[in-house]
Amino acid sequence: MIEIKKLAKRFAVDNPKKLSEQERRDPRLKGRFFHSVQDVSFSCDNGQVLGLLGPNGAGKTTTLRILSTALKADSGSIFIDGEDVLQNPIVARKKIGFLSGTTGLYGRLSGRENIAYFGQLHGMSKSQIEQRIDELADLLDMHSFLDRRSETFSSGMKQKTAIARAVMHKPALVILDEPTTGLDIMATQTVLEFIQRLKADGTPVIFSTHHLDEVSELCDRVTVINQGTSCFDGSLDEFKQLSDGNLHHSFMQALAQGESYVASV
Amino acid sequence: MWQVFNKEIKELIRDKKTLFFMIALPVLLFPLIIGSMAFISGNAIKEAQNKVLKFAITGEAYAPGLYDALLAAEDKFSLVDINGSDDYAALIKAQKVDFVLVIPESFEQNLFDAGQQKLSLYLNDASLNMVYNRVNELVEDIAKNRQLQAFQQLGVTDVQQKALLEPIVLEKQDVADKRENWGEKIGGMVPYLVFLLCFQGAMYPSSDIGAGEKERGTLETLLISPIARYKLVLGKFLTIAFAGGVSALITILSMATWGVILSQGMAIKFVAEFMSAISALDFILMFLMLLPVTAIFASVLLCLSIYARSFKEAQSYMGALVIFIILPIMVAMLPGVSLDGGWAWVPITNVALAMKELIKGTMDYFALFSIFGSTVLIAGGLIAFCVYWFNQEKVLFR
Repeated sequence: MIEIKKLAKRFAVDNPKKLSEQERRDPRLKGRFFHSVQDVSFSCDNGQVLGLLGPNGAGKTTTLRILSTALKADSGSIFIDGEDVLQNPIVARKKIGFLSGTTGLYGRLSGRENIAYFGQLHGMSKSQIEQRIDELADLLDMHSFLDRRSETFSSGMKQKTAIARAVMHKPALVILDEPTTGLDIMATQTVLEFIQRLKADGTPVIFSTHHLDEVSELCDRVTVINQGTSCFDGSLDEFKQLSDGNLHHSFMQALAQGESYVASV
Repeated sequence: MWQVFNKEIKELIRDKKTLFFMIALPVLLFPLIIGSMAFISGNAIKEAQNKVLKFAITGEAYAPGLYDALLAAEDKFSLVDINGSDDYAALIKAQKVDFVLVIPESFEQNLFDAGQQKLSLYLNDASLNMVYNRVNELVEDIAKNRQLQAFQQLGVTDVQQKALLEPIVLEKQDVADKRENWGEKIGGMVPYLVFLLCFQGAMYPSSDIGAGEKERGTLETLLISPIARYKLVLGKFLTIAFAGGVSALITILSMATWGVILSQGMAIKFVAEFMSAISALDFILMFLMLLPVTAIFASVLLCLSIYARSFKEAQSYMGALVIFIILPIMVAMLPGVSLDGGWAWVPITNVALAMKELIKGTMDYFALFSIFGSTVLIAGGLIAFCVYWFNQEKVLFR
């Protein structure tokens, strides 16, 4: 069970002159700070997949980075199975698996070494690492390329290795930041199958995406973020009911609702 | 921490480009370049020495002895006929002759009547040549002979001759031993080379270790692994420091080895004598002094590298940094700069000076403590800053 309440995060703007026209017009720019995330709340039960939607620059990546402990939140709370993520980031990291579309590998290490390195950082023993890599290689069909240098991998092989690395330590929550962006069809399929498998195992998944077909195929819950504020949080059915069942229309509707909500505040 | 270190080293060893700069370049290329330079310049000198010089002479009738000597040395000089009215400079410029010798009328006259004789030697002295030396050899013979005859004519004894030629001799009695003497001459070069090589060796892996992680998209995954940030920083820091140290050591060893191989006879004896004069303790102390300097380099490089968005950005920062490293070491090489002045308080410079003193064998070991201590403090401060820097979101997610 993951519970996120009233998350907020601002960044200092060193040189306002360097901002783009669009950023200058953004209402989140207040004085010398850009309030990237202002009020984001959502929750996700075990076994559920939550899709995080929103336009570019809405604050999705910042939210996921806070969730993965890469960034520190200014206020709000995050609990994973009762563990306070903001208070104990290092403990929380053991429970989190993270992957993004731009996640890379160490090219001069083999696939196996890449995965094993993160196993070591997670404090796993040598035999545990060996056993888990074997398990994941069976699952993701990686045996044929596991011992080659990863700089020679195709994008599908890379993504499989990155997935194996992300779930090496059997995380209690998997966070994916636009995991299919920039991938070819085969590699995308690998990621989607992997999410399905996590769901079947009861591991909650939170992922951001721009592809609504992925949402309808995988998600139980949907959260829409616009201008740093979560303007919709509910089940997929509730999301569909925002309009005539067309997810694109629902998405636009959620944004419109959010804007009127922000305006009223 | 060691997990990070091991992984970084493994990656480093598999990187052919870095290995090339760290090992192949110092071991093979540097000696090759230095060797071939020595070979080429040696050849040029040899050629200037052996080349048959084309010469013209005016007033040869006034100096038949010298003229005959020039003609007799066929393998060294060859005569070119010119008109007395020709422009010597133009002839030399047109490479018709290498030199023109002008002999005065009074050349063969009695020394007591005619006084000192002046010959004019026209030559182009801008490029490497041995013209003056080679002509002077012949002239010197004649001059010595004349001197001797004059002394005999005057009835001056051998002892008097010596005293006349050089009434007072100021004899230098150098109390500095060979080691101090040579240490002063080459002692400044050693830290210069070692520091630069160390910096150079650390530079290549460091851009990979920080900015490279950002560029490849591996940084975020690393930051959210459950390892304390300072351990991550120390692992990376140690890799860079290790690479710098190893690279410097390899280069020095290679230079020493090639130096022994290339130099022959006397030189080996001299090098061996010089080296054996420096005690093992001094060598260890020099190495110890190098440690905090390496740490300073490594931490500064790591800070720059993690700040940069890309490999390219990191390398341009580091290129600029080289100047700031070279400057304080250059100061230590300047004559007159020693640990006595305020220089003992200038970081890097003081270590370079201390290494020079150690080579010379004139180190005040107490001063060494304070220099070592202050350098360690600076290095520690920089490492601490590195850890702080690695916790800054605006640095990591620029």
